[in-house]
Amino acid sequence: MSKKDSSNTVIYTKKINISKGWYKFSRNLLSVLGLTTLIIIILAAVFAPYITPYPKHAGPYTNFRESSQPPSLKHPFGTDTIGRDVFSRVIFGYRFSLLLAVVVISLSVPPGILLGLIAGYTRKRWLEIGIMRVTDVFLAVPPLVLALAITAMLSPKLLNQMMAISLMWWPWYCRLVYSVTSSLRHEYFVHDAELTGAPKGFILTRVILPNCVGPVLTKITLDMGFVIILGASLSFIGLGVQPPRPGLGTMVADGAKRLPAEWWMTIFPALAIVLVILSFNLIGDGLHDMFAVEEI
Amino acid sequence: MPEEILRVEGLMKYFFTKLGTVRAVDNVSFSIRRGETFGLVGESGSGKTTVAHTLVGIYNPTGGKTFFKDQSLGDDFTHRSKTLKKEIRIVFQDPGSSLNPRWSIKQIIELPLRVHSILPNKDRMEKISDLLRMVELPPEEYLYKYPQTIGGGEKQMVAIARALATDPSFVALDEPTSALDVSIQAKIIKLLMRLQQGLDLTYLFITHDLSLMRNMASRVAIMYLGKISEVAPTREFFQQPLHPYTRMLLSSIPVISDQEEGLKPKQIRSRGEIPSPVNIPPGCSFHLRCPLRMEICTRIDPVMTEQEKGHWVRCHLFPEPEKQP
Amino acid sequence: MRTETPLLAIKDLHVQFKIFEGVLKVLNGINLTIYEGEKVGLVGETGCGKTTTIKSVLRVLPSPPAKITGGEIFYRGRDVLKMRPREIPGLRRGEISAIFQDPLTSLNPVFTVGHQLGDIIKHSLRQQGTEGVSKKEIQSCAAALLKETGMPDPERILKSYPVQLSGGMRQRVCISEALRITVKLLLADEPTTNLDVTIQDQILRRLDELVEKRRTSILLITHSLGVVRNLTHRVYIMYAGNIVETAGTRDLFDDPLHPYTKGLLKTVPKLTGEGLSEGIQGRIPNYLDPPSGCRFHPRCDSAMEICIQETPPFFSPGNNHEVACWLFRR
Repeated sequence: MSKKDSSNTVIYTKKINISKGWYKFSRNLLSVLGLTTLIIIILAAVFAPYITPYPKHAGPYTNFRESSQPPSLKHPFGTDTIGRDVFSRVIFGYRFSLLLAVVVISLSVPPGILLGLIAGYTRKRWLEIGIMRVTDVFLAVPPLVLALAITAMLSPKLLNQMMAISLMWWPWYCRLVYSVTSSLRHEYFVHDAELTGAPKGFILTRVILPNCVGPVLTKITLDMGFVIILGASLSFIGLGVQPPRPGLGTMVADGAKRLPAEWWMTIFPALAIVLVILSFNLIGDGLHDMFAVEEI
Repeated sequence: MPEEILRVEGLMKYFFTKLGTVRAVDNVSFSIRRGETFGLVGESGSGKTTVAHTLVGIYNPTGGKTFFKDQSLGDDFTHRSKTLKKEIRIVFQDPGSSLNPRWSIKQIIELPLRVHSILPNKDRMEKISDLLRMVELPPEEYLYKYPQTIGGGEKQMVAIARALATDPSFVALDEPTSALDVSIQAKIIKLLMRLQQGLDLTYLFITHDLSLMRNMASRVAIMYLGKISEVAPTREFFQQPLHPYTRMLLSSIPVISDQEEGLKPKQIRSRGEIPSPVNIPPGCSFHLRCPLRMEICTRIDPVMTEQEKGHWVRCHLFPEPEKQP
Repeated sequence: MRTETPLLAIKDLHVQFKIFEGVLKVLNGINLTIYEGEKVGLVGETGCGKTTTIKSVLRVLPSPPAKITGGEIFYRGRDVLKMRPREIPGLRRGEISAIFQDPLTSLNPVFTVGHQLGDIIKHSLRQQGTEGVSKKEIQSCAAALLKETGMPDPERILKSYPVQLSGGMRQRVCISEALRITVKLLLADEPTTNLDVTIQDQILRRLDELVEKRRTSILLITHSLGVVRNLTHRVYIMYAGNIVETAGTRDLFDDPLHPYTKGLLKTVPKLTGEGLSEGIQGRIPNYLDPPSGCRFHPRCDSAMEICIQETPPFFSPGNNHEVACWLFRR
């Protein structure tokens, strides 16, 4: 094979790997739909000030002349009791939801993964048992109750809400990574890396961790939805995003008082929540297929 | 006479479990000469894989002394010197799980080079390609493939390339071709034999396929429930098997010609189940299945005796031969 | 050539699989016949399509991605491929049964052996029209079946779970399950490949006895030529989705004709210690783009012009000895 031919083959093989991943994902049409929807939502949230018709309505703004208007061309989702455009507020509301999801996942996943790897790999039984029992304790407490307790102890702010939820989210990842790690621990390729002399840190991060990526990523996408609904629930009872900020849960709560006559104030924010969670879940399905290790 | 490269004396590996003590390797002794292929044969529960796994450092021995190139390996096998890690390598039994599914073949072969800092970075690519060429896999095609997309035979070739990456002198081959088809097996075995010649390697070759062993090994040891029952140079092992278990095993192999049928021992047919290594019967561990069992076999465990030069067997039917005056 | 209706007749079966890279043309016209009371071997290496063939007979091919694109499978004269979905379970439960390579995955881990075997016996009796047999009777029937396969202490085994048994014992359980009273055809896919040699020997001999006793036909699929030599009347050799040679077992081993068969026999390590052959050059073909004409031609020392152009039909150079190779064109 000529030099050019051989490097072409190398590039070809690399390209195949990438396109194969996408192929596996895209075979699931709903996943592609979910991905598209999520991208639109993210872009909308990021560019909210530029694309919403009434960006100022997301802050302190009142206009009682326009209050409680049903959906119209001027206000696609209607207006709330103070005259603010619901559509614009929903788009801004996505910002808080997505921010919450990103922050919670970023805070809770890394420690969870780290502890899971250590617990699954170590030969010291006391370490393994110690970590997993602590995990069990956290998992035993119902998430909403714990989040409530923490947020109520501190002041009801978005920031505290984020920290509270992060605190009870890491155990799930710890357990997931622990189960993958302990099942892979005795595979021949791990033994081979050990025998070759690779240091422990390398084995955890480069040998075992890549095999956890699939389940962890899938779980992250599903969790994003959970976190958002949890955040919305906390906001609903007044412990999250505080008025006048447009938290989706807060909006649902406020609008609920005006049901059923002025339905648009609560239904649209609720639908927005459903839409974003659904997108994440659909993506999760596709990711799972993409990471499945196929055999010939 | 080439020198001894490995000497194992009374090697023991017990696993202590809630159900009892598993005596996977129980007082095993043998030595391997440089450049030879030493065969280890046995069925499940025999301990042959545990012997290999212990020697390469997956387990610490429960007892016994082991010498590699005349140096004692001590008691801590899992934390051995970097030199030893380079010298003694293993090719595992199941190609499916011996390669990391999330790594490309390049990464798989690169690992030993990285860990031991063999060659500066830029020369490594060349070495990896060389190794692939050595096992007859064109590098351009295989460097960036993932294990799932290649067949079992090719996976084993990658495993062999990986094992040889550190220029070892001793390679344990644990059933390297058991999961593979006959035609691929032939290719790999021939490759292994060529590599042995070219790189001056010593092999510990483990298989349950006696026909393969007949053509591979210079000496064969057969194990049963953690102990060696018989050791002999290959031809003698097959032409004059002494131990009843050896004869039972030889009579069970499926062969493809009448000529070979004629070479199999006649009277002993397989019977009974292989007991679990947790429940080893007293006396000779084989007595429950042995058609030639005597009363003494149920009470006393026989010891190894040398019947002919280099032909050792552990069986009450063959007591210590009378010493010549 | 026997004249009665064969028990199983596969005619020109073509099967394809659709995957990411394209279409795998796996089975390329399989022809296989089994008569009543016959023991037939199907020998071929990994990936040649043996498992696909029997899955087609049992109609358990996952489709998609698999698709039967041609051919017929006749069981006792009825086209299995044209059967309605309703009729297939009856076929599987009653007449054709199968045992596979890995007994652990064939048995349900959460039920005892006695429960699973009892289930099958109950269904089998129901098939015959017998209802209302007591549990005790079924269990003693199960114990008898296990004893037949050479299992020591059947009563204890009946109370055990599959994971508590050794590989050999599990396979014996599978054999008991497969040899139901009404079964006429047993498809055994590498039944002893994962087992120790001494256990394999015992189980195969027992299987042979049972099959002879009940006059059940058996299709023994394996990659081991040695196993087939002892146990079968006739052998089919399969390569890359085609049957390349078939003959009475004795004839095949004494006088192999197809270059692939000859190559296979050469690569098997011999007990005589005469050394190992180099193996068959080349690799099994890529099913996405298989070689034209005879699929073996890229690896064949005797390949001719016509081998590249046309797939060879069967020629009969000997008594009941057929080979799909242009070398034998009359």
